[in-house]
Order: sequence, then structure tokens, then C-alpha cells
Amino acid sequence: MCARIESKALLGVPAVWLASAVLLVASQIAWAQAPASPPEAGPSAGSLGLKAGEEISAGRIQELYRRILSDWSAGKVDQAPDELIELESTVVDDGEPKTRKALFAAEQAVIHEVAANDLEVLVPIAMLHHEAYRRYLERGSYEHPQAMVHTRTMARDLGVLYWEQSGSEGAGLVASRLLTSLGGMLQQFAQHLPAAELFQQAVELDARNTTAFLGLATIYEKNSQYESTVKVLRRLLEVDPQHAEARLRFAVNLRRQPHAAEAEGAEARKVLEELAAGEASWIGPLAVQELARLHGDEKRASEAEKVLRAGLERFAGDVRLHIQLAAVLDRRGAQAEATALVEKALSVPPSREASSRYLYNTVRREAFDEARTVIDESSRSRLSVLALALSGSTSQQPQQVEVGR
Amino acid sequence: MRRLAIYLAVAFGLGILPAAALAQVKVQIDSPTADQPVFGPTSVMVEVQGAEPVDRVEVFVDNQLKGTAKAPPFNFQIDVGDDNVRREFRAVAHTKTGKTATSTVVTVPVEITEVMNIKLKPLFVTVTRGGRRDLSLTQEDFQVFDNGTPQDLVTFGRDELPLTAVLLLDTSGSMVGGNRVEAVRKGAQAFIDGMKPMDEAMLALFSDRLLQFTPFTEDKSVLARDLGTVEAAGGTAVNDFLYMSLKLLEGRNGQRVVVLFSDGSDVHSVLSASDALWKARTGQALIYWIQLTGGEKRKSFVSAWRDYKSNDREYEVLEKAVVESGGRIERIDRIEDLEAAFRGILRELREQYAVGYYPSNLKGDGSWHKVDVRVRGGGRARTREGYVDY
Repeated sequence: MCARIESKALLGVPAVWLASAVLLVASQIAWAQAPASPPEAGPSAGSLGLKAGEEISAGRIQELYRRILSDWSAGKVDQAPDELIELESTVVDDGEPKTRKALFAAEQAVIHEVAANDLEVLVPIAMLHHEAYRRYLERGSYEHPQAMVHTRTMARDLGVLYWEQSGSEGAGLVASRLLTSLGGMLQQFAQHLPAAELFQQAVELDARNTTAFLGLATIYEKNSQYESTVKVLRRLLEVDPQHAEARLRFAVNLRRQPHAAEAEGAEARKVLEELAAGEASWIGPLAVQELARLHGDEKRASEAEKVLRAGLERFAGDVRLHIQLAAVLDRRGAQAEATALVEKALSVPPSREASSRYLYNTVRREAFDEARTVIDESSRSRLSVLALALSGSTSQQPQQVEVGR
Repeated sequence: MRRLAIYLAVAFGLGILPAAALAQVKVQIDSPTADQPVFGPTSVMVEVQGAEPVDRVEVFVDNQLKGTAKAPPFNFQIDVGDDNVRREFRAVAHTKTGKTATSTVVTVPVEITEVMNIKLKPLFVTVTRGGRRDLSLTQEDFQVFDNGTPQDLVTFGRDELPLTAVLLLDTSGSMVGGNRVEAVRKGAQAFIDGMKPMDEAMLALFSDRLLQFTPFTEDKSVLARDLGTVEAAGGTAVNDFLYMSLKLLEGRNGQRVVVLFSDGSDVHSVLSASDALWKARTGQALIYWIQLTGGEKRKSFVSAWRDYKSNDREYEVLEKAVVESGGRIERIDRIEDLEAAFRGILRELREQYAVGYYPSNLKGDGSWHKVDVRVRGGGRARTREGYVDY
């Protein structure tokens, strides 16, 4: 097994990395933010002691990258991603594409070296870049857009490389979750196009990745591509027919398709009825609301009323159901009861929780918890392999790469 | 209803029953007055005079204790129910030394002739001439047309009716930072500070959900207190909470108004803007919509709930609801302008003419009646564009 991996790694890595480099440049062109002004040398901002705008040789980049990998493998999970951010944001000058290439070449040289004997080290290295990217986003620090894109691309490409070189189902699962988690981060920050690409890749690597399917479907939905939404959700529901959120979105979008037929309306109604009657999560009241709207749209006010009354019995604390039923009754001439319902809605204590309608329109971080857990665990279990690989290669001289600032 | 009772009191003369007062303390129920119909939420206003300090005032309706107050003003909001029956209001003042004084008022069921009053159509008219509001007009200066038919005005006035307002304030996530919530607080506070006795308001702070609200109250301290406690969070559901506000105003009297502040458009409502429009058409409240635009043109947007086109349509329908109600949209560039916007709206409400007429052509068939108000001498009159006949 080891020999096969080593052989594949030696033969396959450079070609894939070449492809990655092309992808990297393309990505940077497509996704980059507005270029920042060239940084000037300034005081040290991090534990590596680098100064903003400082020129760093390729050898020094490799040395520092190796040190960061070493910290990461030693379990310094707080420190290592910040060091990586410090290194990459110092090296990459947003106005000078060569610096990105230099960084890539230097990191590639180190990875090539440490992964030569065991491809498994790619997982924790990818996770390190993933973590660095997460921190960039969460801190809202967009001063180094090209460095951000670089580290995200590294995480993605290392994941794909790991799968391509390993070829195992497990590798596909890990790589798929890595891409899903990255996609989730992008989606949270409304970067829909790159997120969709990542989700698409994720489902190609693992056709049972329901999180990626759902992420992809919600991007289609937000871009009003309702037929594509339905197609993706059908695939998800083949994997997990009881997935409540997918069922709700499926029902909602079935009716939105440009040429939705009566049969699709009936299918949507059936799904909503089941969810309205049996689903206890935030999906439940939403299914009630949407089922009532469906009846309302089809001029069946009495059915809408019935659905909402039954819904209120299940979800008595849902303010919106009170208001929706009041509006239905109001139009049916039952003004007094409608007023009473609105007044009753005010007896429900104000909620600190987001409403179900808000949740439907929001990318929820917890939706990606499973993917994150898988890659976290996969990374942690391989840290010792990375530490070993680094110790075995420290005697070697850093490779000289003729690019720099 | 309290205020209806007061207006009728002016028309029919006060009929307060004498209080069984002791020498040291006298108590009198100022509102409601005798021989008048009273329904629903009712304000009971009690006046206490005397040398002895008052310990408390209790109000009973049909011998049931409905409220106690320890200090003036002794005003009580009591929901007496919707039954058309005689009601006995009794106020008992207790002094610190244990003495008591009592006042009683008996209200009567509504008579059939007064049911006709429900058909009275009140209009609140803003008149401008040369860009300035004209406050010098008399009843004779107005002509009202209902579906093209001239109508006889039966009531006329300005700044006489108390206001009943819902301050519907968007405190969604987009209001986080930049002292935006503080600016909303100040703006609403400016409105509250300008309220007169008998005016009442309800405060509703919303996002995709209701974050904070008060009941309708004249008590400015209650309104001010709840203003300061909210944290911005979540999305925006204008339609749902505008419908709710209009519905709540339906059962109230005076010059009814919703002042909506929002920095965005609806995203998360289950109701559509057409539900809000329908409610605006069937009710009598004015809607003012203060929009924080940041000096930019409104941008189309998309969400998981609606595509660009639907969102644009929703916005247009909501605008229509505002205009048809007789209110208007006020766009502000900066959040700092909010306070002035609230003050300006309150001033405008005070400067509106209230004209009323009995429509001569009602059929109760749910049809739309277009209303047109003209002012002699060429002033520009803005009021609600019509109503649903039902």
C-alpha cells in the first residue's frame, strides 16, 4: 500500500500541482477583491517576527512554512494558522502576481518533500490552510485578498490531490467534506459562485454528501434557478429520503419551476402535509405556513384556515402562524377573531431565536458541523504522521526556488 | 372608545354622577361619561382632590376590581369587552388614614341611531400651497368626492383628535453598529416626546420576528423604557408586522397612524405586500414609511424566498399601500436624519385637517370607492385615495 502511494505521489504530484497552479491563477483573477496598495515595511505583527512588506527569499519561505507545519503537527492549533496567515500575507503582494507564484512554489516544494513518503500528511496540511482561511473570514480582515484566495485554493487543491493520489473511498469522503466545509464558509460570506464550484466538486467526490447537495441546492435557489434546485434536491432525497430541510425546499421549489404542472403541485402539497403534521424542528411551522400559502394561492381559503388552525395547535408559540391565520380570517370576514389572534400573538413573549423563515434564508454554520468534524478528526489522527515526515526531512536543505518578491 | 365617549360627552353634555365624597377627599370619574356606550379597551380617568394624601385609587367595572393606582395621574386602561350592555364604573379613593370616597358612572348600550356613525368616513388631509402647508382653511374650502359624487361634510377640524400611533421600528441585523439603534431610539423618542395628553402609542421593534413591543399607552415612560432594551438582530419582515399594526389599529379611535421605519425591504414575511395593501384599504390608518436609503437608489435583491422581480413587485405594492392610505414615504440619507423625520411626521399629523362625511353611495359590496378631496383656491390636498365598501 505504502509503495503504491509513494509511486503515485512521485509520478502524479507535479502534474496535478501544475494544474493547481493554473487553477490558482484563474481563481485569483476571478475571485479576487480590489487590489490593495503595495505594503511598506512595517513593524512585526506576529510570532514569526515578519515585517509588513518585508522581502523574503524562497528559501526563507520554505523554512518558515516547514516551521509552521511543525507547530501544527505539534498540536499548536491556535498558533500555527496565525503564523501561516502572517507568512502568506507578508509574501503575497496583491499588486504583484509573481509573489503569489513564489509562495506557491515554495510551499509546493516543502509539501512535495514531506508527502514523498506518505500521502496522508496532505490531510493535516490541507486542514491548516482551511483553518487559516476560516480565520481570515471570521476576523473580517480582507486586507490581503490574494493571500486569502491562495490559502483557500491550497486547502482545496490539497484535498483533491489527496483523493486523486489515494484513490480510496475514504479519501474521497475526507476530501469531499473538506470542500464542503470550504464551500460553507464561502456561502456564509455570500461568495456563491466559488461555493457552488466547491459543492459541485464535493458531490463528485462523494455522491452521498448530503450537506454539499443541500449547499448547492440553496445556491441555485437563491439565484432563482428553481429547476436546478429541484434536480439537486431530488438527488439528495435519493440518498436521504427523510431529510426534512431538503423535503421542505423541494416542495417549495417544485411549485416555483417555470412550467410546474398540476402533478408537481400535488407532490409539493403531499410533502408539505407530511412535514406540517410530523416535523417538530423549525421546518415544521414553516411547512404549515407554506402549505397554507399553497392553499391560499389556489383559492382554497378554508383549507388554508384549517391547516393554520392545526398548525397553531402544534406550534402555539409561533407568532407568525397567529398573524397568518388572522390575515386569512380577516379576508374571510371574521374580523373579530382575526383581531383576537393578533392580540394573542402579542401575548407570546418576544423570542431571542431566529424565526424559521429567517433560518430558511440563512446559511447556518451548524449545517456544516458534520463536514467539519470529519476533517478535524481526519487531520488530528494524521498529525503524528506529519510530525514524523517533517523530522525525516529536516536534514535536507530547503529547495531553492528562483522567485521572490 | 374612551375618546369616542368624550366626543359624545361634548355633544350630549356631561352626566357624571355625584361622588359620595368625604370631607377630606373628593373623587370624580372624568371619563367615561354617563349615558354613553362603551366597548373594548377603555380609558378610565379619575380625578382626586383633597387635603389628605391618597393611598390608592381602585376602579371597578360592574363590581369587579379592574385596576389600582397608587399615584396620579389616576388613568386606567381597561378592556370592558364587546357586549352592547349597560356598565357601571366605580372609582374608590383610599386615603392614607383609611378614609374612602367613591364616584360612579353608568354607561348605556349603543342605540340604533348611533350605529350609523360607523359609516362616517373620516379623512385626514394635508394641504400644501406653494410647497408650504396651508393651515388657514375652513370647512367651506373643502370639497369631497366619493366615486365622483360630491359629499356633504359633517365634521371638520384640525389638531383636535388625539393620535393613536404604532411606531413600527426595524431593528434587524443591518441596524447593528454605527449607533443605528441609538438613532432609532432617539427618533422614536422625539415622536413620543411630542405626544399630547390623550395621544397614545404602541411601540413594536421588529426584525424577522417581534423583538420588543408595548401595549397602546399614553404613558411616555413605558414607551421610553422599552425603547432602550433592544439589540438589533435578524432579517426583515415588514409585511407581517405592518399587517399586524394595521389590524391592531382597527379597533381604536382618533387619528390612527403607523410610522414604519426600515432600512430595507421585506425579506422574511409570510404575508405578501398585497395583504398589507388590502388591510390598508379596508382600514382607516395612515401609513408613513421612513426609509433609510443611504443616499442611494433602491437596489433589487434576491433571497431564498423571492426572486428579483417578485421583490421589486413587493416593494411597489408596499409603496402603493402607503400612498393609498394617505401617508407618504420619507427617504433619509443618513441615520442621523431620523429624529427630524419623526418630528416632521408628527408635525404633519398635527397640521392635517380632519373632515368626515357619510358616503351617499354605500352598497356594502366590497367595491373600491375612490376618494378625491379638492381645496378651493388651488391648494394641493393629500389624503387616502379610497376605501373598500363593506
